[in-house]
Amino acid sequence: MFSWQTQPLTGLNFIGMVIGAVVVLAILLLVVMYLIFFLRKVVAWMQNRIGPNRVGPWGLFQSMADVLKLLLKEDIVPAKADRALFLVAPIIAFVPAFTVLAVIPYTAGHIFTAGLNIGVLFYIALSSITILGIVLGGWASNNKYSLVGGLRSAAQMISYEIPLGMSVLGVVMLAGSLNLTTIVQQQATDRFGWYIIPQIIGFVVFMIAAVAELNQTPFDLPEAESELVAGYFTEYTGFRFAFYMLTEFVYLFAISALATTLFLGGWLGPWLPSWLWFAIKTSAVIFFMFWLRATMPRLRVDKLMGFAWKVLIPVALFNILLTGLLSLLV
Amino acid sequence: METLHSEEMILNIGPQHPSTHGVFRLVVTIDGEQIVAADPVVGYLHRGTEKLAESLQYTQIIPYTDRLDYVAAMLNNYALVHTVEYAMDLEIPERAEYLRVIVMELNRVASHLLFVGAYLLDLGAMSPFLYVFQEREMIVQLFNEICGARLTYNYMRVGGVKWDAPPGWLAKVRDFLPHMREKLKMYDALISGNEIFLSRVRGMGVITQEEAVAYSLSGINLRSTGLRFDLRKKRPYGIYDKFAFDVVVGQNGDCFDRYWCHFLEMEQSLNIVEQALESIPDGPVLGKVPKLIRIPAGEYYTSIEGARGELGVYIVSDGKDKPYRMKLRRPSFVNLQILSKLLIGQNMANMIAILGAVDIVLGEVDA
Amino acid sequence: MSEEKKPAAAPAAKPAKAAAPPDPRVVAATALADEIRASIEARHGAGAVEETGAAKTIPMIRIAPDKWRDVVTFLRDSEDHRYDYVELMAGTDYKDYIELVIYLYSMKRDAYITVKTRTPRDAASLPSLTPVFPGVNWEEREVYDLLGVHFEGHPDLRRIMMWDEWKGYPLRKDYSDFDNIPTRGGEPR
Repeated sequence: MFSWQTQPLTGLNFIGMVIGAVVVLAILLLVVMYLIFFLRKVVAWMQNRIGPNRVGPWGLFQSMADVLKLLLKEDIVPAKADRALFLVAPIIAFVPAFTVLAVIPYTAGHIFTAGLNIGVLFYIALSSITILGIVLGGWASNNKYSLVGGLRSAAQMISYEIPLGMSVLGVVMLAGSLNLTTIVQQQATDRFGWYIIPQIIGFVVFMIAAVAELNQTPFDLPEAESELVAGYFTEYTGFRFAFYMLTEFVYLFAISALATTLFLGGWLGPWLPSWLWFAIKTSAVIFFMFWLRATMPRLRVDKLMGFAWKVLIPVALFNILLTGLLSLLV
Repeated sequence: METLHSEEMILNIGPQHPSTHGVFRLVVTIDGEQIVAADPVVGYLHRGTEKLAESLQYTQIIPYTDRLDYVAAMLNNYALVHTVEYAMDLEIPERAEYLRVIVMELNRVASHLLFVGAYLLDLGAMSPFLYVFQEREMIVQLFNEICGARLTYNYMRVGGVKWDAPPGWLAKVRDFLPHMREKLKMYDALISGNEIFLSRVRGMGVITQEEAVAYSLSGINLRSTGLRFDLRKKRPYGIYDKFAFDVVVGQNGDCFDRYWCHFLEMEQSLNIVEQALESIPDGPVLGKVPKLIRIPAGEYYTSIEGARGELGVYIVSDGKDKPYRMKLRRPSFVNLQILSKLLIGQNMANMIAILGAVDIVLGEVDA
Repeated sequence: MSEEKKPAAAPAAKPAKAAAPPDPRVVAATALADEIRASIEARHGAGAVEETGAAKTIPMIRIAPDKWRDVVTFLRDSEDHRYDYVELMAGTDYKDYIELVIYLYSMKRDAYITVKTRTPRDAASLPSLTPVFPGVNWEEREVYDLLGVHFEGHPDLRRIMMWDEWKGYPLRKDYSDFDNIPTRGGEPR
């Protein structure tokens, strides 16, 4: 198996790594752009609408036009905002979102993947940094709605990070590794097949926590439009606003990719090339999230916290216990 | 009990805010996310309809009533012409009365549909809003065919209605009813059982019967507390005594009951339309009305069951062709008063749920 | 020109068809109003009710302004009346005086009356009904805003439709639009 870690750091390898990273970044940007398009089309279809269909064939260039528009917009900083923090907050939110993608194994070849031995931890640790960016953005805007949105977001993401981490533990115990590549390979030979079958409880907890982490409906309280106008990024305009949007969609992709890797056997699958299998599974998870988005009303703030602490964490703990017992007995 | 108090913050919601349903401003004092005081500020849409009416002839006032509760304009039209007819003791041709009932009840359905959609939108579910608009569009289209307007109808006249139904219109309404019933069932199945939705509206913003009466609430806000008070039954106006329908009442007076009453009331309205379609007679649609409408001197008040509650028009006449004073009893305006009482102790998210369930239209609040 | 004086000459409370042979509904309404008057006067003295009649077909009672809140409270609480629901509150400027009218409904008895009172135009002031019926809070604010009636004992008497700087009371008959010409730098815009 190919891994960058086993290679000596020669000039050629370094260039290879850089090229790999750039290629991943470029592809991902494209993917994220079309995620937005996909979201709009899927939700439109579920709501008996047409969705974007004016820019380019079938509206394919709509997202590109949106991004261009945001790039050309004036970058407004409110007069009473904390200028330095206001400017840096979107970047703090945005950088970890792309960094976590380094550990996702997209294909069987792994040329694009940093096969870290602590891949799972790396993902969870880095994705927490984004919360900082969101809270700072909400606080630095000097707007009450932004502040409430930012604080809600922090409370929610911290609460749901715990069940998210715990639900992954079951998979880690089965695979005996924190390396995402190894986890996928283990699923090829595991007697239960993909981990969604032995870890069905973990999968459900993971999906719920993931939706909450992403601030998606029904957990979209931080950006509850009817209550908080737009939440923590109310005051942001232009490209800084785009950064936050991008962060959200990159995480949407990343967490779907993580779910695919951990529970759905990653790139594994017959006949088709491995990257295509990966794409299909990830798209299915993303579609599921969009589906929720078009279906659910929003949870209430107090219920949200109660749900994380009183339901999800005990269930996740029970799942760990069950996994341990099963691996001992079976 | 000693509790830790954080600093209170004054949050100004509106007049431009996505879920205040127009230009409504609410100044809330919040402690964390908990509301300790709420002060509704209205008047941003005040156009002085009552003042304007004093210099207009009665027929000229009708279009102004369209702009009050702009999602149920037929009912507003009727409230005005009904008071004028009551004051003049006019005889209305029967066909006109039936047409009025049909359009009014259809308008009630359209208005309640909009409530259901907008309420769910407030609670964060976007799809129902777009779904209900399809059926609302059909009703609006029917109105467009009968009176040439989609929102501000100006359809009723003193003594009848302006236009008879175009050929085939009644059949179209007849076809619409089963479709609407089916869709109502579907929406009911999609929304009313949703656990998240229920957890947000059950037991929320409870109004007791005593409070409801003391605060002069009317319409669904009053009926949701269990009081069987529907002016169509209590003081049947027009030809409402000819139709069999139930008055929908709630039990707990919470947000869910208010939502649910809207749902059930739509079915009752469809029943009324169906009965009206069965027995609508032929004949003229505009009675013998003097060219210049003059009301005998005196004061007159009648009220009808509007989409949001008791919609009344009070006219003081000095015998001329213009009202000496016209006062509109706007249900939204009166119902909104209870909001600041309901909000105390709630958190921000509940604020939206409670405000949405009170069901106001700002055009009516501000007149 | 004679028509101009009509509102003052013909008080709005008169039944609609006074000249024609009296409408039985009006007669019944007036009789009921007299009954209620007797009941009120037994409790609040002879001066409490100033006039009875019918507003179209609804019993009408006009109450002395100083007894306004007491009598309405009595009508709400007394077992014979139980008028517990305010349907409408409206003020009208009759050029000589301002009249405040409420339409009361009894949920229990399914009965319906009109109660009104008058106050002079200058220094118009009445006891507030908000302590009795919380639901007239905004209605009284509206009457204050548009007709300039000061309500004694109202918890929150502010303008509700117009903004605080507005001059005059729009629904008064002598109100002039020119009092509120928007200015820019002291000059009319």
